Amino acid sequence: MTDLLELREKLKLFYSRNEVFILPIIKFILAFVVFNSINSRLGYMTGIDNIAVVLIIALLCSFLPVGVMVFLAALVSLMHMYALSVEVALVGFAVYMLMFLLYLRFCPKDSIVVLLTPLFCIYKLPYIIPVAMGLIGGPASAVSVGCGVIIYYLLYTVTGNSAAINTMGDDEAVARIRLIIDGILGNRQMMITLVAFTVTVLVVYMIRRMSMDYSWTIAIAAGIMVNLVILLVGDLLYDTNLSVLNVLIGAIVTFLAAKVIEFFRFCVDYSRTEKVQFEDDEYYYYVKAVPKMTVTAQTKTVKRINTQRSGGRNVTTERTSAPRGASRTRDYDNTRGYRRGTGKSVTIGSDNDDDFEELF
Amino acid sequence: MLNEERIILMTKMASYEEHEGRKNMAIGRYFRSDYIAVQVLKAVVCATISFGVLFALFIFYDFETFMQDIYKMDLVTFAKNALLLYAGLVVVYSAACYGVCAYKYSKAKKSLKLYYHNLKKLNSLYSE
Repeated sequence: MTDLLELREKLKLFYSRNEVFILPIIKFILAFVVFNSINSRLGYMTGIDNIAVVLIIALLCSFLPVGVMVFLAALVSLMHMYALSVEVALVGFAVYMLMFLLYLRFCPKDSIVVLLTPLFCIYKLPYIIPVAMGLIGGPASAVSVGCGVIIYYLLYTVTGNSAAINTMGDDEAVARIRLIIDGILGNRQMMITLVAFTVTVLVVYMIRRMSMDYSWTIAIAAGIMVNLVILLVGDLLYDTNLSVLNVLIGAIVTFLAAKVIEFFRFCVDYSRTEKVQFEDDEYYYYVKAVPKMTVTAQTKTVKRINTQRSGGRNVTTERTSAPRGASRTRDYDNTRGYRRGTGKSVTIGSDNDDDFEELF
Repeated sequence: MLNEERIILMTKMASYEEHEGRKNMAIGRYFRSDYIAVQVLKAVVCATISFGVLFALFIFYDFETFMQDIYKMDLVTFAKNALLLYAGLVVVYSAACYGVCAYKYSKAKKSLKLYYHNLKKLNSLYSE
């Protein structure tokens, strides 16, 4: 466990030092996967179904905010729909418009969830998103996940009916609109997935906020179970052709992914839980404090020996793992010169810098 | 002489101003009633456009039948029903918007109060 904690600290340190490079690279990879998936699934407009175009858009997205990536993904999918049929593009535009006007303008940050949900659905790992959003998001994330599910099934309906749409004549414009709308609204699998994911997000969110021990692990397990039960009951009732094996594999992968999220977001030591109670003039306080698991990452420090010699200094490099409150020595940092207090860190931009995770 | 406590406080405040603070300061410039009124007005506009989109989809879904029946149907009742649905959508959406904006406003004000408290603290650190 100590090795894992140390690895976590090293990763955090590495990320904070190289955030300027890592974030654009992650955005580039994500954009590349998203646009490549859209092109491989839809791909009706040959002009943009090109790896060079995907690379250019991905490069553009790597330097722009995530919202632009979502906008471009919607635009590219609409262009493919337009190449298939104007009516399909109109229905797609109406769906995107409704989502933006009624929900996404309130939570622009959640737009990435709307993008990731269809992506994970395409790669047969859809159950990760509701559990992950229950862990790191709020109850409103249920709506974002729901919007993502609707977009996935919109694209699924378009690809599933593309052959039928192509065979329809020019005078059957209304029939094309009806085909897509019926395909979306009449899709029972979509309705069941929508209900399952929404309930999963809410269950995970509510349980992980409880003050009981191992609340995050219980929330993950409960969320996966609820998701499984709703999907299987839905399959029994409406015969949605759900693959039980896929669902079980998905549940295992989701559990592992959720545990990774828990490790990075909520790694606490319940064995050292402290319960205290005190009072002031107005209230009695019953406080439960659970300490976070932290290990200071090993850092390279350069110690100077024989500083009085100007040339040919003997410099030794050693690896140290400085505990909290270590003795204050003068260390040399390559970028900042001398600094006092080995192992002391300053957290910037976070209010959550205490050693304890206060539950209530 | 560098003051570690002052630097930490200033860094935190600068980070706040750069990210969350910018949004909260924009909200904090309004009175509560003004902020909520503007947002609800925007919600009414959005609900109107959304209703227009939904209504267009409804018409186009069965366009041929609609055009055939347009002379037979009671247009006043049809318009009344459409307006009723529109009013329902606007009222529900505006009420939801009101709740969200009231919550956002109180959260932003609380956050700004903390920020101004930190400003005062910083000022006192300078005068020490």
